[in-house]
Amino acid sequence: MGKQKKEIDILTASAKRKKRKGKIEFLYILPFVLLVAVFSYYPLYGWIYAFYDYRPPYALSQVPFVGLKWFRTMIENEEKVKDILRVIRNTFAMSGISMLFSWFPMIFAVFLNEIKCRPFKKFVQTVTTLPNFISWVLVYSIAFSVLSTTGAVNSFLSSVITDYVPKDFLSSSEHVWFTQWLWLTWKNAGWAAIMYIAAITGIDESLTEAARIDGASRMQIIRHITLPSILPTYFVLVMLNLANFLSNGMEQYYVFQNSFNREYIEVLDLYVYNLKNMNGYSLSTAISILKTVISITLLGLTNKISKLIRGEGFI
Amino acid sequence: MKKVIALLLSLTLVIGCLAACSKSENNGGGSSNSGSNSGSDTKDEITIDIYDDAANFNGEQVGWFGKIVKDKFNIKLNIIAPQVVGQDVYSARTAAGNLGDIVILDPTEFNDCLSTGLIKDISADIWKYPNLSQYKGQIETVNKGLPGNSGQIYAIPCEMTNTAANVRSEDTIYSSPLLRWDLYQELGAPEIKDLDGLLDVLKQMKDKHPTNDAGDPAYPFVLWKDWDGNDGMIGIANVVQLTTWYGEKIKGSAILKPDDTFTPITDKSAGYYKILKFLNKGYQMGLVDPESKTEDWGVVWGKMGAGRMYLMWYSWQVGAWNTQERLNDGTAYIFVPVQDQTYYADADAYYGSGRLWGIGSKVDDAKYQRILEFLDWYASPEALEYQHAGIKDFTYKVESDGKYMAINENANMDNLPVPAEYGGAGYQDGENKINQWIVGAVSTNPNTGEGYAKGYWSHYKEATSGKTKQEWQAKFNAAEPIDWMKNNGKLLVSPNVAVSLESDSTDSALWRNQCNQELCDASWKMIFAENDAQFDQMWDEMVKKLDSYHFQDLYNFDVKKHTVEVNAKKAVK
Repeated sequence: MGKQKKEIDILTASAKRKKRKGKIEFLYILPFVLLVAVFSYYPLYGWIYAFYDYRPPYALSQVPFVGLKWFRTMIENEEKVKDILRVIRNTFAMSGISMLFSWFPMIFAVFLNEIKCRPFKKFVQTVTTLPNFISWVLVYSIAFSVLSTTGAVNSFLSSVITDYVPKDFLSSSEHVWFTQWLWLTWKNAGWAAIMYIAAITGIDESLTEAARIDGASRMQIIRHITLPSILPTYFVLVMLNLANFLSNGMEQYYVFQNSFNREYIEVLDLYVYNLKNMNGYSLSTAISILKTVISITLLGLTNKISKLIRGEGFI
Repeated sequence: MKKVIALLLSLTLVIGCLAACSKSENNGGGSSNSGSNSGSDTKDEITIDIYDDAANFNGEQVGWFGKIVKDKFNIKLNIIAPQVVGQDVYSARTAAGNLGDIVILDPTEFNDCLSTGLIKDISADIWKYPNLSQYKGQIETVNKGLPGNSGQIYAIPCEMTNTAANVRSEDTIYSSPLLRWDLYQELGAPEIKDLDGLLDVLKQMKDKHPTNDAGDPAYPFVLWKDWDGNDGMIGIANVVQLTTWYGEKIKGSAILKPDDTFTPITDKSAGYYKILKFLNKGYQMGLVDPESKTEDWGVVWGKMGAGRMYLMWYSWQVGAWNTQERLNDGTAYIFVPVQDQTYYADADAYYGSGRLWGIGSKVDDAKYQRILEFLDWYASPEALEYQHAGIKDFTYKVESDGKYMAINENANMDNLPVPAEYGGAGYQDGENKINQWIVGAVSTNPNTGEGYAKGYWSHYKEATSGKTKQEWQAKFNAAEPIDWMKNNGKLLVSPNVAVSLESDSTDSALWRNQCNQELCDASWKMIFAENDAQFDQMWDEMVKKLDSYHFQDLYNFDVKKHTVEVNAKKAVK
């Protein structure tokens, strides 16, 4: 009897200890929970502005509650619906294009890895990585000095071709999505390739050596060994990019926008920002709520597809 | 090893903290000492935050003007410029309940801040100050116009004058066609009948001189987009200004016609369409600088100074080019009349330019007194000379008759170093960055009996009455551009009135801004339309789009808002 009680005591004591340990272990993740709470959940409080007639300098308590007025404004007539659809189209198009070409940094890394001359390889890698550290404002000033009517490209063309009329590439409304992708790639490709280069370094040497002894050519090694080995990395990165599908960076489009290309360059984030600048705080909050709704829909959709294909979802 | 490093780190931390503490103690001690025996000349140094809608500079005022204020009042000026750091600073600071110690605001913003209690009532103290009291009449009239105000004083208007409310004392008006006199003479100084005639003249200039003397391409029209939609108007600033050539004045989404009636900005028979079409014709004739699509104000200012722009339209633009030398050798820019035009001009800003000074409601009593002292000095002849004329014996000198004459005219352009007693450094760097005055330059300086800026000085006029002016006077039979306009009945002077305009609700603000963006985007595209058919198609599309952005509601709002002003002006006329 006494022995049994003792055993129970020991058991409860260990359970208590475990519980306490659990509590302490919970503290380990507390900073991260706090971080998420402060930076991801607390800002949701700002949604309240979408339901008020807010304008500075008045405080929220001094302005009337208007319910769903701003949501109705968003779709009150055909032209405004067109506006929303236009920015969603632009967002999807530009994110879609970068998604479509997301293999580009991977291939770049693979080919970079094949360069045998080390100094040249290092040189290429440094030159392609550097643009990542330049802000978009500077990228635009580079673009301006290269592509404006008196920029490098036009100066060159007019010195080669007689009767050449300088073309203002930056204010062109043609191929906006593609040129924006080019700028994005110019800025990011080198940086994105670093991950793949690390993955390639991790490939077991013996695999390539064995392949080489078996008479595999360089292209065959790439196809049968390098690419399959780094594909998992690729998919992880694609998943991560997918999460940013709607938040495709406002800065880039902000610096490149002008009256001539706004129709194609205005993405959701930029639209929200431009509206806010127009004193439309409440309306722009309402639209960013719309963005969240689209995001959640996309998330659900991807989850369903994942369930269909892999048999398990990720939520 | 780790322990040693940890120990070292914590030691540094402790020492750092101690150092910081002792430093602040010193500071505290120092200030309390000087505080205890503070007389009028040994005051504590304080920093005054100026929230300034007009400033193009954000940060502490440095250089010679900063030194003058520091030496005189022991005050440092910290300028907060929404034009530089973005409009968000307005929302953030108003949300925090303290916009600034001094605020300089556009009237609608001022009214909002007044109704949210951000502006201090200064009625009890302002008339203790002699310089401010000189403008008592104007200040009281403007304050009476503030909404919901029963006799208190909150605002001091910007750029008041001591002239009158229904005259224009300047020799030029704000916007009129200005051509390079030598290039115009070279064409035989033909009479210009209308805008098409002006385009012809410009086309000939461009054909004869495709580049400036340095060989850089020059164009009649160089446009910039930086100010689009500013100052309560909607649409492209360059177009909006030019509508005044036909006696029209754009008030938000409405155009005020010479007969004091309103018409929408989208009216095809009114000024906005006319001027847009004029610029588009210019483009079709190859007269518009293709860089206009993307360049900004800074680039354009450089082009003006380099003579790469053949048509100017703001009176101050000539400052980039017209020097005494150029005025005297006949190569300066000057007004050339277009026969079918009647020019709109604002009268002297007797009641101020519209912007208002106020004192923040959160300042404590000690600071409040010192701010008033500073503002009183700011309205004094001494300060006005610094603001409008610069530094004595550096940018101007006193002649034997006691009147002033300009020297070192390139002080601003070339940022010349100022004399050592003013702290050295560049003249332009040290200029008054508040960029707004209580009293305008056209006011009479009691020390000289002339205006404050060099353009009004008789010695300066004499020195610049060389070839350009003489030939111009001979041809047009008038002493100054404004005299020609007056003699020929081509001038409409709109009297200066003190009225308070209704501020935008969230709805009208959104209508305004969405309409403005659509109008600006479409206007820029229209200037660069390849043919008339495309131009008109774009115009129709734009009007349709504007309707969906509640243009009609906005127009009704603006007409109602500005009718108050028009009625007040009619009463003065």
